[in-house]
Amino acid sequence: MSPARPPASRVRFGVGLLLGLLVALGGGWLLLRGAQTQMEDDWTTRRAIVAANALASLVSQAADDGAVRTVVVAWQRTHPPGTRVRVIRGTTLEASTNPADSGEKAAPRRLAREEKPLFDQAQRLRAGVDNNREGGAPKPEIEVEREGGARRVAVPLESDGKVTGMVLVQVPADASIAASSPLRAVLLLLVALVLFGVAGWLLPPRSALLAAVTTALFCLATAFFIFGELRALGLAERDGQRALARTVTVEVERAKALSGANAVDGGAWDTDLSRKPHRLVNGTGVIDREKGEAAAQEVRRGALRSLLALAGLGFVILVVVAFGGANRVGRALVTNRQAYAYIAPAIVGTTLLVFFPFFYGIALSFTDSNIYNTNLPLSELWIGLRNYTTILGDWGFMRRAADGHWVFNYLNFYWTFLFTVIWTITNVAWGVSFGLLLALVLNTKGLALRPIYRVLLILPWAMPNYITALIWKGMFHRQFGVVNQALAIVGVEPLSWFDRPFTSYLTALATNGWLSFPFMMVVSLGALQSIPADLYEAARVDGASRWQQFTAITLPSLKPALVPAVILSVVWTFNMFNIIYLVTAGEPGGSTEILITQAYKYAFQRYQYGYAAAYATIIFGILLVYGSIQNRVTRATEAI
Amino acid sequence: MAKTRREERTPHWVLHAFLAATVLYTVYPVLWVITIAFSGKQSLAIADLPADPSKLDRARAVLPWPTRWAFSNFTSVLADQPFARWMLNSAIVAIGATVVGVALSCTAAYAFSRFKFPGRRLGMMSFLVSQMFPGTLTLIPLYIIIVQWLGLGSTLTGLVIVYATTSIPFSVWMLKGYFDTIPKELEEAAVMEGAGPGKIFWSIVLPLAKPAIAITALFSFMTGWNEFIQAATFMDKELMYTAPVGLRFFVGGFQQQWGYFAAGSIIVSIPVVLLFLYLQKYLVSGLTAGSVKG
Repeated sequence: MSPARPPASRVRFGVGLLLGLLVALGGGWLLLRGAQTQMEDDWTTRRAIVAANALASLVSQAADDGAVRTVVVAWQRTHPPGTRVRVIRGTTLEASTNPADSGEKAAPRRLAREEKPLFDQAQRLRAGVDNNREGGAPKPEIEVEREGGARRVAVPLESDGKVTGMVLVQVPADASIAASSPLRAVLLLLVALVLFGVAGWLLPPRSALLAAVTTALFCLATAFFIFGELRALGLAERDGQRALARTVTVEVERAKALSGANAVDGGAWDTDLSRKPHRLVNGTGVIDREKGEAAAQEVRRGALRSLLALAGLGFVILVVVAFGGANRVGRALVTNRQAYAYIAPAIVGTTLLVFFPFFYGIALSFTDSNIYNTNLPLSELWIGLRNYTTILGDWGFMRRAADGHWVFNYLNFYWTFLFTVIWTITNVAWGVSFGLLLALVLNTKGLALRPIYRVLLILPWAMPNYITALIWKGMFHRQFGVVNQALAIVGVEPLSWFDRPFTSYLTALATNGWLSFPFMMVVSLGALQSIPADLYEAARVDGASRWQQFTAITLPSLKPALVPAVILSVVWTFNMFNIIYLVTAGEPGGSTEILITQAYKYAFQRYQYGYAAAYATIIFGILLVYGSIQNRVTRATEAI
Repeated sequence: MAKTRREERTPHWVLHAFLAATVLYTVYPVLWVITIAFSGKQSLAIADLPADPSKLDRARAVLPWPTRWAFSNFTSVLADQPFARWMLNSAIVAIGATVVGVALSCTAAYAFSRFKFPGRRLGMMSFLVSQMFPGTLTLIPLYIIIVQWLGLGSTLTGLVIVYATTSIPFSVWMLKGYFDTIPKELEEAAVMEGAGPGKIFWSIVLPLAKPAIAITALFSFMTGWNEFIQAATFMDKELMYTAPVGLRFFVGGFQQQWGYFAAGSIIVSIPVVLLFLYLQKYLVSGLTAGSVKG
């Protein structure tokens, strides 16, 4: 296909360079701005926590309630306006510098009813501390709330190793990191474009040299951008660390002045939410060089990965646009805009909720994703093929026990697969043979009541299958189920159907057999009615027996309808989730699970999402193999 | 052949006996559920057995006829249990998903049927292949997307979105098959009179395709109404259950409220059973035609 008149390659390269750089530099800048806002946010919180911890240690050293109030007021005075302190012990507001707590409501007083949240918060912190001491799953011991730029930090108050209350400090906003500017990105973009303009003017329009120059310009601009921004990010991190160190120094000075002690360990104040010290700053406010450098490295490394990914994306755009790919796509979009507009909603919907989940599921199958780590990115959970090797590599589905009996491991993949195959074959065989038999009977000429039989026999197919499943589960109940009652008439002892794999399998087979034969019956009946009667007439004239007529006329005529029906029914039965899940539920011990229910149980009962995804991917693989074999077989038989 | 034609035929009474036995087999579970529903009790036994039951007592316990007819299971499942709410949830979800899904499918199917454009084959094939995706594989990511990312767990909106999009591929194939049978001459005539493609779609193709759209919509509705796994996975709050999840709630786990289950099952089944009996001939032709192409 050759477009009528492609735009000159100079323009394409120019547009490609512009778009590529816009993505790499513009996207990069947006990303870094987000990262810096996040950093700023974290540092502000950390400084607020230092202040709150400093005050808490002062308050816990205070001799009595009066001293607490003195300390709090004095502490407040040394801090910028907007700082607010409240000390709560039990149900008492011990001290407060909050303007609202003056006059009648001045501390000390009992907490008012509407201040219950404060009491609850103190209780939560105490529970958190107790929990962490006993070694439970970590819970926060400090709570931080944001109010605009200000932070409200709640830290527990301890005396003699017991939590007796909490200190609530509100610290006003203060910025420590300079806001990033888009200047570098814009400048680099302009310089690159100007240089490209010069090169384009000098060089012949369709030369390899132009491509090389464009690539070089893109790489240089991106490299300068990334290098510069990473340096800036490192500096910003350094600024944050310095501001933290300053806060620690200042707080240590104040604490010394207020308590009269000569040694105060300010290093213990810079903590995370479980009050574990970060140890980035020591007791006198000096930054630990190694730790500071490591933190900066970490920040730069994280940013570098994202920036490189964006640069790669930008380069792909550059190449696509420059070599006319985008041009062709755009042209197709314009000429067929109507068709694309018509399919767009459906395509977008299915892409987001059918195809994306499918590929996401496959990606998930290479990870160790489970309920505890769903918030982590997949790249951090990546374990390669381990799920697959665990599932497929374990052949030990049966072994000989000490007493010589064979013992099956019902959770093994191959057991479940074997069971699924047996389940599918028996069900389809039953469905086809019984359905076909009924169709032959119903096709008898002159049979009375035919329409009534037909409707009554289709009934099982019409019932929602989850209801069918639950009904049969009820009928197979050991004590009250009608099946056991009916057996008792004949003198058979009541059976615990779901206690042994074979009987459990029979219940599922009975249920699925009940609901699956009408489909085959309807399909066969339709095909039977379309066989011309004179074929049989001719056969009879030739002296063919009824069996010969059946094999020579009926079966071949049924084949075009029956083959697709069987194919479909194999897939349905293979994936018949509801029957197994609701009737046997895999009892006993998972022996009657089919692949699809087993995958579901791994996902939603054992919460091993990655493992379950691998399981489901294997199921998809099996279906694909089945589909291609079936395709080949039907094509081969059609050729005959 | 020495035999005459008459002797060759199986006598009709044998056929009737066979068919009657089969009908008994197919109808018994239905009669059983009706019996439990009208028994007025929660037990899944039809009749209470005496301590030392005779054969007759046991036969009575198998006969699908309530010992005492009562309507109480129906009234209390609707009044005392949140079952009416669950039915409403199911109806909203099924109707919502049908409207959204069929609307999106109609336009797409029309484009696939009438326009030639790059990606057409790819689109149709990917829709066909998507029918082979195992439900469990997409269920995990869907759960993560709907519940954890979008926060739509236990909401009807979440379920509508999922049902509508997953029904699109099937609906598109059904509708495209029908659009293909509408003669192009009609549209060509309209083009001659100056109608644009949008107008042709709205005022010629859609009215002509009404029966196919109705059938596709009914299938889509039935699928939504009967869907169990996704609803059971996404709906955590008891009040937001759909009817299938609710029915299973009555008899799953430690609950043994078979009376409620039976009454509820009958209420839920009647509309779909009737719909199904009406629709089954389209279903058979649609399914087998689709798989022949595949």
